[in-house]
Amino acid sequence: MRNPLGWAALTLFSLVFFLFIYAPLLVIIGYSFNSNPVNMMQWEHFTFDWYRGLLGLGERAADPNNRAVYVESTEKMLAALRTSLMVAGLSTTISTVIGTATAIALARYRFRAKGFYNGFLMLPMMMPDIVLGIGLLIFFVTVGIHLSMLTIIIGHCTFLSSYVFIIVQARIAGLDPALEEASADLGASEWVTLRKVLLPQLAPGILGGALLAFVISMDDLVITYFVAGTDNTTLPVFIFGMVRRGVKPEINAIATLMILTSVLIAALGLWLRSRKAD
Amino acid sequence: MALLEIRNARREFVTPEGTRLAALDGIDLDIGANEFVTLLGPSGCGKTTLLRAIAGFETLDSGTLALDGNDISTQPPHRRPVNTVFQSYALFSHMTVARNVGYALEVRSVERQVREHAVAEVLEKVGLSGMGTRRPNQLSGGQRQRVALARAIIGKPRLLLLDEPLSALDRNLRQQMQLELKTLQNTLGIAFVFVTHDQEEALTMSDRIVVMRAGKIEQIGSPRQIYRHPKSRFVAEFIGETNLFTVTIDRIDGSHALAHTADGLELILPAGNCKPGGNVQVVLRPADFSISDQGIAATVTKAVYLGSDLHLFVQPTVGGPEISITARDSAQAPQPGSKVHLAYDPAAPHVLETA
Amino acid sequence: MAVRRQTLVLLVLLAPVTLFLGVFFLLPLVIIALFSLLAPGLYGGVEWTFYHWNYGRIFGWADGLIEIYEPIYLQILGRSLGFAAMTVVLCLILCYPVAFWVSRLPSRWRLFFIFLITLPFFSSLIVRLYAWLLILKPSGLLNSVLMGMDLISQPLEILYTPAAVVLGMVYVMVPFMFLPLYSAVDNLDRALIEASMDLGATRVQTFLKVILPQTLPGILGGSVIVFIPSVGNFIVPDVLGGAKGLMIGNLVEQQFLSARNWPFGSALSMVVMTLVLVVLLTSMAAARRKGSQNA
Repeated sequence: MRNPLGWAALTLFSLVFFLFIYAPLLVIIGYSFNSNPVNMMQWEHFTFDWYRGLLGLGERAADPNNRAVYVESTEKMLAALRTSLMVAGLSTTISTVIGTATAIALARYRFRAKGFYNGFLMLPMMMPDIVLGIGLLIFFVTVGIHLSMLTIIIGHCTFLSSYVFIIVQARIAGLDPALEEASADLGASEWVTLRKVLLPQLAPGILGGALLAFVISMDDLVITYFVAGTDNTTLPVFIFGMVRRGVKPEINAIATLMILTSVLIAALGLWLRSRKAD
Repeated sequence: MALLEIRNARREFVTPEGTRLAALDGIDLDIGANEFVTLLGPSGCGKTTLLRAIAGFETLDSGTLALDGNDISTQPPHRRPVNTVFQSYALFSHMTVARNVGYALEVRSVERQVREHAVAEVLEKVGLSGMGTRRPNQLSGGQRQRVALARAIIGKPRLLLLDEPLSALDRNLRQQMQLELKTLQNTLGIAFVFVTHDQEEALTMSDRIVVMRAGKIEQIGSPRQIYRHPKSRFVAEFIGETNLFTVTIDRIDGSHALAHTADGLELILPAGNCKPGGNVQVVLRPADFSISDQGIAATVTKAVYLGSDLHLFVQPTVGGPEISITARDSAQAPQPGSKVHLAYDPAAPHVLETA
Repeated sequence: MAVRRQTLVLLVLLAPVTLFLGVFFLLPLVIIALFSLLAPGLYGGVEWTFYHWNYGRIFGWADGLIEIYEPIYLQILGRSLGFAAMTVVLCLILCYPVAFWVSRLPSRWRLFFIFLITLPFFSSLIVRLYAWLLILKPSGLLNSVLMGMDLISQPLEILYTPAAVVLGMVYVMVPFMFLPLYSAVDNLDRALIEASMDLGATRVQTFLKVILPQTLPGILGGSVIVFIPSVGNFIVPDVLGGAKGLMIGNLVEQQFLSARNWPFGSALSMVVMTLVLVVLLTSMAAARRKGSQNA
């Protein structure tokens, strides 16, 4: 039934589609090695200067006129990265606990509010993040909670829990309920069954959910933008600020590093999934 | 006193449509200490619910379960000295075979050395020596089945429950496992309660068969009793192939009764409790008939080849439903269209007690 | 006793989510609703009096003194809906053929291309938008290439136009459309297509009468997932859109971070939230109706 001409056209269309997705990322990576500081789109020659600049090294950074600018932005960027990692680490941990507990409760117990919870947990994912962001901002200011790293973490957990919940729930749904029955049948109490059977069986799902939560938290811009306050900046908010103030060549280098990191994380995720399969 | 005494067990479910369904509708059953009892019936008859109630996964609405005279019906599953082999095997895929098998001892905090010794011993019993370090997903279906069995018997339960454990295996392996299970039950000396919908499996292994239908026990008896002397039409038709005749008794002649069907087919039955003029139902198995020079005149309509045997469908000349019989296959075996006469031992027909 | 212990475990499992989302999700939404009906304070903040002019400014009633109805708000709202709808349609047009193509590949390649689609999801949103800024700038890659090929003599003005905003949103949202579409197309029983062709339907008829209805749930799901974040988006128009590309999300942001009119900003977010809920509930109802039809 395959029409060779139609198939060729479809293949061409698809390959152009993938080019559309990847070309912009390749452009950034390419220009992160371009030495032209005035017009980045004009290729001069290959350089690591922007990467050196990021670390406060290199000739440009050593130039006394430039030095202050580069060192300051480097320190700010590293601080933003630290904040991002801490926020992502803590909010991933908290939301993984919340999401997993909820998924277990909804899958393994019968109670009246179950339908309500199932719908309720979809809402934070479906709510436009700007609404969630300003809602949290008004709430924190009204209640008198100082905007800090804590408020960023709280903000992230509100929607990350739902993502973890979805992933873990999918894993539980695929689990043979007889596994837990078998454990009880062989003499294990509810708690022992949870520890020795349910959690190990859910581990790939929990890990996958945590990974997803971590990635989303690292990338979150909108919620953080509203609830970060003035003392804390995460990496996406920092880059957003740089992009808004005008393009500087070091952004290419930061962006390239972030793209490469994300490739690594995605590969790790894929590896986890393939392990789950056996 | 029986090992397990079930008295008036009831359990209702509410279907999604909102109607109530009695999965267990007043079950009374005793299971002896070293007995192989099979719960047999079509799907939805309540056999699995009864097994799950014994294990503790279902609570009874009313009734009692007494093990050695102690009521266990309110105990949670992990406190009952009863273990289960699950239909899906329910092996823990994140543990090795040895840890799976030793799980019951592990959760009771049995010392490591004792545990390892017991695991090796029970693995040998099920023919899996040396497989302890493997993972369940590296095993074949039959091997998984044995792991599930080993895991369930290591804790020396008083009663082993088996929930259609052979249904996932292919035919040859299933027959081999049937024999092994029976042997194992003898050597272990514990009671087995086995759930199946496969009548052949039930007949092969059981000491007693409990035939269930719609939440009630239809008949309890040895395989022979169930097969030769089914109490009801349901049991007769569920177990093995059956020719069923509704007849009117004409007269009693000594130990025999003469009767005829509405179509005019004449039959001789053991007199039993038959009374002239009464209507009864009679069961004759296909193997009860033989092809002979005299007897019921009939024409072969269809012959199905079964290897050493032939399965013949024959139409009595007087009319009425076809009769199915088995005959040895040979060069002289009747072909479709041949005229034959069917004979049977007058002691063979079984008169049903109830309609 | 067993029942009581179960209830206890259930409570322990459900308490975190209930408390957390109750306090940090539901309560803020309630506060937005409340603030949208309060008067703005002189120096930011609110005055605790009932005040419906926030909505009046958007929808066309005004007291004529302090609050003035300006149609620009409805225009921007309409524009946001339009941009979001265009984003959905363009994502669909892009993804549907590709989903089909990927689902017909040998399994090794199928996994590879699905991985390629999900990869951008793992990389930073702001980085991906920034790439388009580089490409679309007057002195950017696109113009350099086009001018280098002598196709144009003057740089095209694409950046800071509505087209740039829609392009940026399509780029960011494409993976969210692809995955539900792919799973719908992949679950499609090929025997159905063969049966339809076997029974004499043409390719077009087969597509319209078999493939499209069968993949409708995926189309619907992907559309909702793309539409909702698009309507309220403010990052994409902020980076790629100029004054003409302003969306309702930017208005909300301005009210909170520069104009400091929280009640008006709350009223605007209530409008966004209501729109989203309407879309969500309608699509859920549609999906359920479709489900019951099939059953």
